[in-house]
Amino acid sequence: MLSVEQLTKTFGSRRVLADVSFTIGAGEVLGLIGPNGAGKTTVLECLAGLLPTNSGAFTYNGSPLSSRRRKEALFYVPDGILPWAPQTVKWVLTFFERLYSQAPEKLAALVGPLRLEEIGRSRVATLSKGERKRVLLALGLLTSQPLLLLDEPFDGLDLRQTRDVMTLLRSERAAGRTLFVSIHQLNDAAKVCDRLVLLNAGQRVAEGTLAELQAQANLKDGGLEEIFLALT
Amino acid sequence: MRSHSFLRLLAKEFRELLASRAFWLLLLFVGFLVGHSFTTAVALYAEMSGSGGPAALPQGLTPLDGVLVPTWGAYDLAATLLFPFVAIRMVSSEKESGALKLLLQLPGTLGSKLAAKGLVLLFAWLVAWLPGLVAIVLWRSYGGHIYAPETLNLLLGHLLRGLLSGGLGVAAAAIADGAASAAIITLAFTVGTWALDFVAAGRGGFVQQLASYTPTAALRSFEQGLLRFSVVVVIAIVSCAGFFLAAIWLNIGRTIKFRLLVTLALLIVTAVAVVSGANLRASRDLSENRRNSFSTVDEVALRGIKQPLKITIFLSPEDPRLTDFEQNVLKKLRRSLDKLDIEYAATTRTGLFDSEEHYGEIWYELGGQKVVERSTIEEVVLDQIYTLSGVAVPDRSADEGFPGYPIAAQPKHAAAIFYFFWPLFVIATWWLLRRL
Repeated sequence: MLSVEQLTKTFGSRRVLADVSFTIGAGEVLGLIGPNGAGKTTVLECLAGLLPTNSGAFTYNGSPLSSRRRKEALFYVPDGILPWAPQTVKWVLTFFERLYSQAPEKLAALVGPLRLEEIGRSRVATLSKGERKRVLLALGLLTSQPLLLLDEPFDGLDLRQTRDVMTLLRSERAAGRTLFVSIHQLNDAAKVCDRLVLLNAGQRVAEGTLAELQAQANLKDGGLEEIFLALT
Repeated sequence: MRSHSFLRLLAKEFRELLASRAFWLLLLFVGFLVGHSFTTAVALYAEMSGSGGPAALPQGLTPLDGVLVPTWGAYDLAATLLFPFVAIRMVSSEKESGALKLLLQLPGTLGSKLAAKGLVLLFAWLVAWLPGLVAIVLWRSYGGHIYAPETLNLLLGHLLRGLLSGGLGVAAAAIADGAASAAIITLAFTVGTWALDFVAAGRGGFVQQLASYTPTAALRSFEQGLLRFSVVVVIAIVSCAGFFLAAIWLNIGRTIKFRLLVTLALLIVTAVAVVSGANLRASRDLSENRRNSFSTVDEVALRGIKQPLKITIFLSPEDPRLTDFEQNVLKKLRRSLDKLDIEYAATTRTGLFDSEEHYGEIWYELGGQKVVERSTIEEVVLDQIYTLSGVAVPDRSADEGFPGYPIAAQPKHAAAIFYFFWPLFVIATWWLLRRL
């Protein structure tokens, strides 16, 4: 569906991504995992066109990803933002629902799993970190692009909420949508992702299913943490 | 689909405006400013109209100078010190909160998103006009005279002034990291234009031409009842350039180098457009007392002069005679003669210690002939020009002149409206709308 080739990004003299390449297959959940500062958010923002790249190419369904096609192909949900803080949660969600001409059932299906009912009348500015994350996830799921990029979708969520969001992401994939998620909690990544890209210090260390990564790391029954430590 | 998205974006910007404290503070303070200006102006106008003032003062009194310009002068202050913050907030709040990253991915181009912001800013500026419009209604209710063309011309000037402030604020917010830095950029621009106004006074040439498009100078021509198309075009171009500049710098997916290059290209295109616009000579004197024009008979006579006229002025920029000459003669001559060349030949700024032997002289050259005159009185100057050109001096005896509209009205109910009901209305509306 989308391939990233030789992506390089520097901030001043600091190189944060070095020749990173990987592919995202249609209908899969691809996880981008790595420690803090590995360059995960930078990959997502370059892909979303919100950061200029130094070099590299993006190919979407066999053709170069132009700015126009990018807007039709993908939507990126950043981590830690506070969109339209003075507005109520309900208004922000309805704004996205109407902008993307979604049926009312779409938003209704998100209200339960993301527990949006209880915060609907609250102003975005007053939300806790977890509540804000749930609203951002809802906004992403209300968009209609075939590829959804999520930056740290489980950050700030408790155990029960994390489980509910995973279920929601799986049902989104089942509905035909492709997901590319950056996660620094490796246990969560192993539960939700079909394939994984391991990133460390701005370099792609490995890419594949859990079984393929285990084989690369020579760890037959190793978990992601062991695999990551073995490969980096 | 496109119009559907644009309407949604417009609704979002509208809600963001209503959630902006800067907007409500603008509304609150503009009421006080207009109220103070209006009550002071009406009381002073009454004094000059005969209730205690010198007997000659009522002659030629015009509500444009006496009431409308001072009352609406509050909007010049608001456009300089309040409205830019409304514009800055519309961009910098989304930059600082990270909402810009979502906004850029939403349907529609960046241009359409900025157009939505521009339209909502225009709406905000027009809503802020309510106290000024109330003042006009009050003035009429006192029996005061209003001449529609010059009043509408004044409103056009304030509309353009608001657009310029909006464009500047949006551009500053897009370039700067935060709202505070954007405010500093905006104020620096304003102070810079004031400095340019001061430096260029009576200097002539390019600097003076440039200074005639600063916000204060541009507004002044509207305040004098003069509609200069060059001013309208230049202010509109610069305002639009502000929004284009914002579009360049909000495109965060582009490198700084790319954005700098496009900014340079925009500046060049804007400069070319501004220079072209500044060359438009068309203007309309919409003042009721024709203060920007010679008498009708003189205008007809001047139109008969086809040869180029050169005027060399040996008066320094701060000499009050030059100010008189500019206001009473040169401004009108520029509108009446197609081929006019003016040279400012004084070498000092004040003229106090000028040892130049020609200081104080004004040379008129036409068709190879030259005369030297020291007077700056309109009739004397015109007669010299007629003599040089061989055109007969017209008979001005039929000119009736401007009667003036003296009225000794007191600003009844104005204090209650502007200092009590308006703030109450603004606070109540804010309170009700914040519950939405």
